Amino acid sequence: MTRLHPFTLLAIAGALPALAWIFPAPAGGLATAIVAMGLAISARAFRTAVFTAAPFWLFLLLLHDVPTTVAIGLRITTMVASFVWVVAALPPPRLVEAMVATGWSATTAYVFAATLSAVPVLRARARRIADAQRCRGMSPRGGLAHRLRALRALALPLILSALHEVDERALALETRKLGPGTRRTPLSPPPDPVSGRVARWSLVVACLAALVWRLR
Amino acid sequence: MTRLALEGVTFRYPATDTPALTDVSLEVAGGEVVALVGSVGAGASTLLLVAGDLAPRVVGGRLEGRVTFDGDGPRGIVLPTPWTQLSGMAFTVWDEVAFGPANLGLPRDEIVRQVDDAVARLGLEAFVSRDPTTLSGGELQRVIVAGIVAMRPALLLLDEPTAELDPAGARALWQLVRALANEGTAILLATSDLDGLPAVADRVVWLDHGRVAASGPAALLANEEVIAANLGTTVATVWRAAELPAPYPLTVAHAVQRWERR
Repeated sequence: MTRLHPFTLLAIAGALPALAWIFPAPAGGLATAIVAMGLAISARAFRTAVFTAAPFWLFLLLLHDVPTTVAIGLRITTMVASFVWVVAALPPPRLVEAMVATGWSATTAYVFAATLSAVPVLRARARRIADAQRCRGMSPRGGLAHRLRALRALALPLILSALHEVDERALALETRKLGPGTRRTPLSPPPDPVSGRVARWSLVVACLAALVWRLR
Repeated sequence: MTRLALEGVTFRYPATDTPALTDVSLEVAGGEVVALVGSVGAGASTLLLVAGDLAPRVVGGRLEGRVTFDGDGPRGIVLPTPWTQLSGMAFTVWDEVAFGPANLGLPRDEIVRQVDDAVARLGLEAFVSRDPTTLSGGELQRVIVAGIVAMRPALLLLDEPTAELDPAGARALWQLVRALANEGTAILLATSDLDGLPAVADRVVWLDHGRVAASGPAALLANEEVIAANLGTTVATVWRAAELPAPYPLTVAHAVQRWERR
């Protein structure tokens, strides 16, 4: 799967949630959620997908009855699992190379790729901050008040360090000439075979056909 | 011929009234290495950002005075922390070094030539296939320097380039700086590795609270006032502390000569 062209991966990750919302619930949502979870398992991101989707189920259950919760929950699960899968399966540099090779500006490509790479970067930093706070005696276990204090001790440095790094990273990217209007030379553009292009357009057509069928 | 000129430059960061630089005038020509020295907060890093056209254009703030630059290549700046300078868009060290040249839109074979040359100059051949995020601070610093060198800058700006390096790495970097200057690159650097400067710097500029306090050849680092400000070389500082007679020697070699002539 990871060898597919980045646009094909994005097309799959976009088509699954679209179909989840187009097809009638709960069968449509169930089918797309199973496919999306299968993809997440293939990218070893099943746990992340489950833990990310779980709070949505909780809130839905508080707000709606069971049938509605299942209908919306499966659709949200599809969205979450598709996103988690594409983040795990698509290395941002490959996406940049693919976008640049097809004529996108390097800065636009960077924004896309930075969005995908932000999750693992922030997770790694959060782990480091949590370790540091633990070394200073802050334990994330205990009562609710204690846990909230620990959360604050994690969240504040995480947000502040991310903001600080944005400044330095902007300077570094600027000096390496990643700016508006940059026409970057693609170094190793991923191959884009005809079969991949056909698959992408087929997904678009399938989504449109499903929409027309639902609106009939 | 490359030439950077700052004339009467005063710079204030956003939302501050106190200038980080005050009435600074400075010239750096192609083939010249100019070193900025000063205590923390003296304005050396800010001066590099101004010279690199990053302040106020990117960081904001207000600039008075004039900054002019003529050169056949870009201005490249190496910032102090290597971790935040990674592109985040590279699988390997080679790709990381190629990030800048690729953004310049150079033909692929030229990029390969320049990247291979920069990799060899920084002694990174053994790392080219490594994931840059797995490197140590010193290795990463060399990768970042290589990434800028590969862009063939006409003006190279280095902010604490040896901070992450071991003594051998620092010596190799200073040799590279000298070699790049000999090839015509104009180099402006800020460093607290004062002992490395006599062998590399053509001129030393002492910054104090954002102003140019003194400027001259590397021998300035053996000057009484400069040593008193804790900005002298180790040899000069030790000689003065031992209450041996002035003028103070700049390097170990100078000290040996002076000692033998006693």
